[in-house]
Amino acid sequence: MRLQHKLALANLLFKIVFMGLFLAVTPWLSERINLYQTDNDLIEKREEVIGLISDFGVAPFLVDETEDYFASYNILKEEFISLEQIDLDEYWNFIEVTQRRIDDEVIDYRVLNYSFLVDGETYLLEIGQSLSSIAVTERNIRRVTIAFLFLFLLVSVLFELAYTGALLKPLNRIVAKIRATTIPENYDLTPVVSSTQDFKMLDSTLSELMKKISAALQNEREITQNISHELLTPISLLRNKLENILMREQIDEELAIKVNESLATLHRLKTLVNSLLLIARIESNQYLRNDNVQIGDLINEVVEELHPMADDGGVVLIQDYTRELHLFQANRPLLFSLFFNVINNALKHTPRGGEIWIHGYRKKKRCVVEVLDSGEGIPADLLPDIFMRFKKRNGAEDDGSGIGLAIAKSVADFHQIRVEVSSEPGKGTRFVFSWEL
Amino acid sequence: MNTLIVEDEKELAQEIAEYLRKERFICDVVHTGMEASEMIAVNQYDFLLLDLGLPDYDGLDLVTEAQKEGSEAAIIIITARGAVEDKVKGLNLGADDYLSKPFALVELLSRMQAVARRKFKMETNTIVFGGFEMDVNARVVKFNEVVVDVTRKQFDLLQYLVMNRNRALSRIQLYEHIWGNILDDQYDSNFIDVHIKNLRKKLSEYGPVDWLETVRGVGYKATF
Repeated sequence: MRLQHKLALANLLFKIVFMGLFLAVTPWLSERINLYQTDNDLIEKREEVIGLISDFGVAPFLVDETEDYFASYNILKEEFISLEQIDLDEYWNFIEVTQRRIDDEVIDYRVLNYSFLVDGETYLLEIGQSLSSIAVTERNIRRVTIAFLFLFLLVSVLFELAYTGALLKPLNRIVAKIRATTIPENYDLTPVVSSTQDFKMLDSTLSELMKKISAALQNEREITQNISHELLTPISLLRNKLENILMREQIDEELAIKVNESLATLHRLKTLVNSLLLIARIESNQYLRNDNVQIGDLINEVVEELHPMADDGGVVLIQDYTRELHLFQANRPLLFSLFFNVINNALKHTPRGGEIWIHGYRKKKRCVVEVLDSGEGIPADLLPDIFMRFKKRNGAEDDGSGIGLAIAKSVADFHQIRVEVSSEPGKGTRFVFSWEL
Repeated sequence: MNTLIVEDEKELAQEIAEYLRKERFICDVVHTGMEASEMIAVNQYDFLLLDLGLPDYDGLDLVTEAQKEGSEAAIIIITARGAVEDKVKGLNLGADDYLSKPFALVELLSRMQAVARRKFKMETNTIVFGGFEMDVNARVVKFNEVVVDVTRKQFDLLQYLVMNRNRALSRIQLYEHIWGNILDDQYDSNFIDVHIKNLRKKLSEYGPVDWLETVRGVGYKATF
């Protein structure tokens, strides 16, 4: 999930929770506020009525003296005031909710009851306010509030998306730069324009880092070239000297064999130096990756190369591809060496009558190549070391330095090819190479 | 054939010169780029053997220089730096071949012969051995006018042995000649033995192959 969307989502969630909470408490809250307001109104009206009564007495209100009762409603029965003489043992002064039947209609009222003494008589003053009118107001206010809140939600989400989008643009650009970088030297060093301090710092830090890595790689490149020169020159000199000795007419056979053995040793040294340099060069990105390789074709070439040896050793090489497997941005010679190495290695460890099965297929979005031999297998405790430099498989009697699989591994890493090995001693070994298309 | 050897490692230059003189090349040896530059300007060479790791000169500049001088020389670049770009650059600049140190002297000779055939259109006589006939340019082996069906690698092996007749070639030298460019790190003596075995088998279908000898402790030799 993108950062921008995460931010917007978090904000949206927070607002929804907050709004939900707000909407959940508003009915209760507005009811309380309304009641408070109503009660204040009622008390105010009571003060007014009492004022009038103290000015003019009760009489003007009690039109019908016989009934000692006065009641007044407004037309819509939203409020009423009543005054009557009553016998009470105590003073009343409270506000309550009661139902009143008026003209066959039951209405909930908030009613203020107030008793007072005038000329030795107790009178009860009731001032009522209909609750239904309050409820309607409440409902209307809630509707408006909800509508407003949703509008607010929508506008704020849109605003946030736009704002964070603009805000995070430099970050997206930095991420795009990193994505486009296959090797550190390729990193785009033009600064990303931003008014945000953090992004500026991120960008400059990354650029610095890439510069440093590039410099380190360049340094390593020079070092490998120098080491290469320093090590290979004396080997070259020794070799050619020995070869010139062999050219002498009068050289006897024993000496010739000894010189040849020395040349073989020298060759081992050369191969070792070259192998180590090869790994160093791969690891410091000195190889281009400009080829689009069809792996089936490539392995076919490897198999053709190894066919005479397989025939001679009585081993059958079987190839089987269900799909064309491509590897883009690859270095073909390195890949050739990788598969040559692995298949040749399998060949060396497979006895006469055995077979090596090379199986290529697609699994979801990955290309897979399996190299399965029916050889002696590798004991479980040696498996983890198989790609380590200078570790040889048990009993391997080859001319190699035990570095072949280490080279294969570094070539695989260079191409982001995943390598898995499994083996069953006595049954065979399986190498699985897979990469994302 | 006039050859200029440009190599700062004096002993190595001497060894190369010693070998090439035995092969009837006329050799001048210089150890710096400056000397080389002067020699190229004054003399006509058929071959320039150019080490790229000179202390005072970028060896690749000498390639350009030689061409400006109108030199017809075949240029073989030699380097121990092992950088792939050098090879590509050198060949692009007009070098004819490229050798990585350490190389076998016979390999150097073989490359020089190949360049000479290509560049100077030298007529190489058909080589005859034990009733077989090899046409190097057409890359064909015949026995009594019947074409022997050998693979590309078998032909290369046979040619290398035949051109270095009466001289034992080691398995390493043979391997490097055939696979050196692509699979330098994968040397396996078995490869050569298998290919020689197959080659012998193939040739023996047509005629005797007793001239293709195994040399104990060394490798193989074509004697005729």
